[in-house]
Amino acid sequence: MELKFTRSLLGALALSTALIAASPSLAAGKLTVSLSQDPGSWDPVDTFLVAWATVATNIFDGLTYRGPDLKLVPGLAESWQVSEDGKKITFKLRQNVKFHDGEPFNADAVKFTFDRLLGDEGSKGPQKSNYAAIEKVEVVDPSTVDFILKSPDPVLLTKLAGYGAMIVPPNYIKEKGEDYFNTHPVGTGAFKFISYEPKIGVKLEANPDYWGGAPKISELDYKFITEPATAVAELQAGRVDIVVPPIIPISMVPTIKGDSRLELMSVPGPTVDALRFNTRDGITADVRVRKAIIMAVDRKTIVDAILAGQASEIVSFQSSLSLGYDPDLKGLPFDPEGAKKLLAEAGVKPGAPLQIDIRGNDATMNEVAQAVSSYLQAVGLNPTIKPYELNVLLNDIIPQGKTGALFQQKWGGWTFDYDNTAYSMYHSGEKWNPYEKDAELDKLLESQRPMTDAAEREKVLKQIAAYVNDKALELPLYNSNAIYGVNKRVKNFTPAPDNRIKLNEVTVD
Amino acid sequence: MANATTSGRLNRFKAMEFVVGILLFGTICLAVLFAPLLFPDGGTKIDLAARLTAPFQSFAHVLGTDPLGRDVLARVVTGGKVSLVVGFASVVGSIFVGVAMGLVAGYYRGAWDALLMRFVDVQLALPFILLAITFFAILGGSLINTIVLLIVSQCVQYARLVRGSVLSLREREFILSARAIGVADRNIILRHLLPNLLGPVIVLATLNFANNILLESSLTFLGLGVDPTIPSWGGMLADARTYLQTAWWVSVFPGLAILLTVLGLNLLGDWLRDSLDPTGRTSR
Repeated sequence: MELKFTRSLLGALALSTALIAASPSLAAGKLTVSLSQDPGSWDPVDTFLVAWATVATNIFDGLTYRGPDLKLVPGLAESWQVSEDGKKITFKLRQNVKFHDGEPFNADAVKFTFDRLLGDEGSKGPQKSNYAAIEKVEVVDPSTVDFILKSPDPVLLTKLAGYGAMIVPPNYIKEKGEDYFNTHPVGTGAFKFISYEPKIGVKLEANPDYWGGAPKISELDYKFITEPATAVAELQAGRVDIVVPPIIPISMVPTIKGDSRLELMSVPGPTVDALRFNTRDGITADVRVRKAIIMAVDRKTIVDAILAGQASEIVSFQSSLSLGYDPDLKGLPFDPEGAKKLLAEAGVKPGAPLQIDIRGNDATMNEVAQAVSSYLQAVGLNPTIKPYELNVLLNDIIPQGKTGALFQQKWGGWTFDYDNTAYSMYHSGEKWNPYEKDAELDKLLESQRPMTDAAEREKVLKQIAAYVNDKALELPLYNSNAIYGVNKRVKNFTPAPDNRIKLNEVTVD
Repeated sequence: MANATTSGRLNRFKAMEFVVGILLFGTICLAVLFAPLLFPDGGTKIDLAARLTAPFQSFAHVLGTDPLGRDVLARVVTGGKVSLVVGFASVVGSIFVGVAMGLVAGYYRGAWDALLMRFVDVQLALPFILLAITFFAILGGSLINTIVLLIVSQCVQYARLVRGSVLSLREREFILSARAIGVADRNIILRHLLPNLLGPVIVLATLNFANNILLESSLTFLGLGVDPTIPSWGGMLADARTYLQTAWWVSVFPGLAILLTVLGLNLLGDWLRDSLDPTGRTSR
């Protein structure tokens, strides 16, 4: 009883201080951003969602930083040096940086962050495997740390700029506990966390002591809006200033372009869409059927007509910006007659049912899936489309291996390195690979990770893409632009291809 | 005198109701019936090159095309099948189940009455959408399941209506005398009670038909119910949501189809009620 009382008192106190702190800087203005998804948890080790990063890049910092120009620059580390053999990286840390709760950022915080990520707490989340190359972090002095690696990881410096590598406050987590941190994140970033309401939104306020300079706006209000038409309507009504992708359907691009108060910003991004196959059960367990399905669909026409200039066709599950992209890789051609022959050869009877699982709130995919389904009908299959609520699809359907014959996979590939995508999609036992167990593919995937020579690694990555293409593990669709809808009262905003928009430089009229 | 002209005008208005109602509903029924002849491809043929053609521009696509280049007219006409089949089947099913429940509850009273009427109370207290979401989450969406859901949720209206009428009828002389000369219960129910109930049940059925079409469209619009690959009015509206401001015809025509069908049925229902029940006793 007593404990409860003190806690609520503390809560009330914390709330009132937050209110007091927010009021003096109100004049600088408030920015409202719509997000298509509620990340649910704010702990860096516990997420894989782009929507998380959109918010978290304003709360947390990593040792390195990668902005909208995709160039890697110093973050909380001022400089770094990689040893000759690539197995040790020494970071010189920025000094006089404080977390939002007042505790100092130093080498101990870095060590704590990575011990936590690579230890028991990290094992509960999906981020640990991305940082498996790190053996340990050693504190040299309060402003210097050594990263000792098991094997060189060419993408590690990029990976330190996001997700699991965000530096977290040791004392705060030790005192308040993991659960509290999960819903009340504290970092060193440009904005401080105020409140989070599940399914509704999250509010941040400016951190005037930010090491990169105080933000130019005082308040940041993220709203979770999952319905595309609603998000655009809110933007038109002026209740939302920025709509973050991926939510604006291609069909509403003309609507935004036609509104004089709004601006449409579209940048080529890492986001790729594919319909992946259930390679374990049913007719799609047969590689001939998978190839037939790919050949039956005229992907070029779909991309040209439905995605009208906002996307490009892909052959493997990566964008052309990604390391491992092979311009010479040829996908299967559009050939309905060949598809019919293959289906007959595989013994598939005309009218064989086929379920396509898609994200229910993805209006563009809804159209694409209907087009795909009509192409499949033309070769004698009988497809049905099953739209799922996003979180159900991502948590209960795909990882549990409960999908139909085809299921939509949308992937951010934020490191712009095919390894990040391919390992998660095709290596046995990974969360996003519920069906495929292929020793040869596993070996290929593992072999490129320790390589330090980028050219050598790229060769293996291309081999992986060719192998996947050969086994027809997915029906690759398109690499879509990141489409932002922005109110013209927002100034100095740069759309980021990877959705990680840091808003400290933005101003509003 | 004044009274006579008013009632004359009223009668003419009633006749109009019937004519307009039968015209609207009849036309739509005929169109849907002959849809396979008029549009053999069932409005599923995709022509991405001709996407979003505006209406009244060409003979090939009189009402324009949707975002996938499918003919809107063909889809509206073909899509009516889902609405009409669901509406009709669910009403027939509801009549059978609901009337049986009402007859048993009203005629036998006692434990049966209590049990059935509590079921009716529970059913009326459940929010429809909640019931629908739970139902489809467990059983999955399909045409048959949509019909079953509508029967389960709508039959209680018939049960209540019939039970109320039976309660008053069973005390009337013709029933009492039938019972006195030893007519079997089954015959009393089927021969004497049922014919006297048909009027109000038919009126309710007509109005319920319209209501069920609206419910089916809403369910399909929400992505519950019928598979999105089958053309249906609700599904067409859902697909057209993001085109409201740039291609109005994709949503307006299926919307009009729902409106006209429901209007036609409601006019017919009103007319039926007034003709079968001039005293207005059983106004819903």
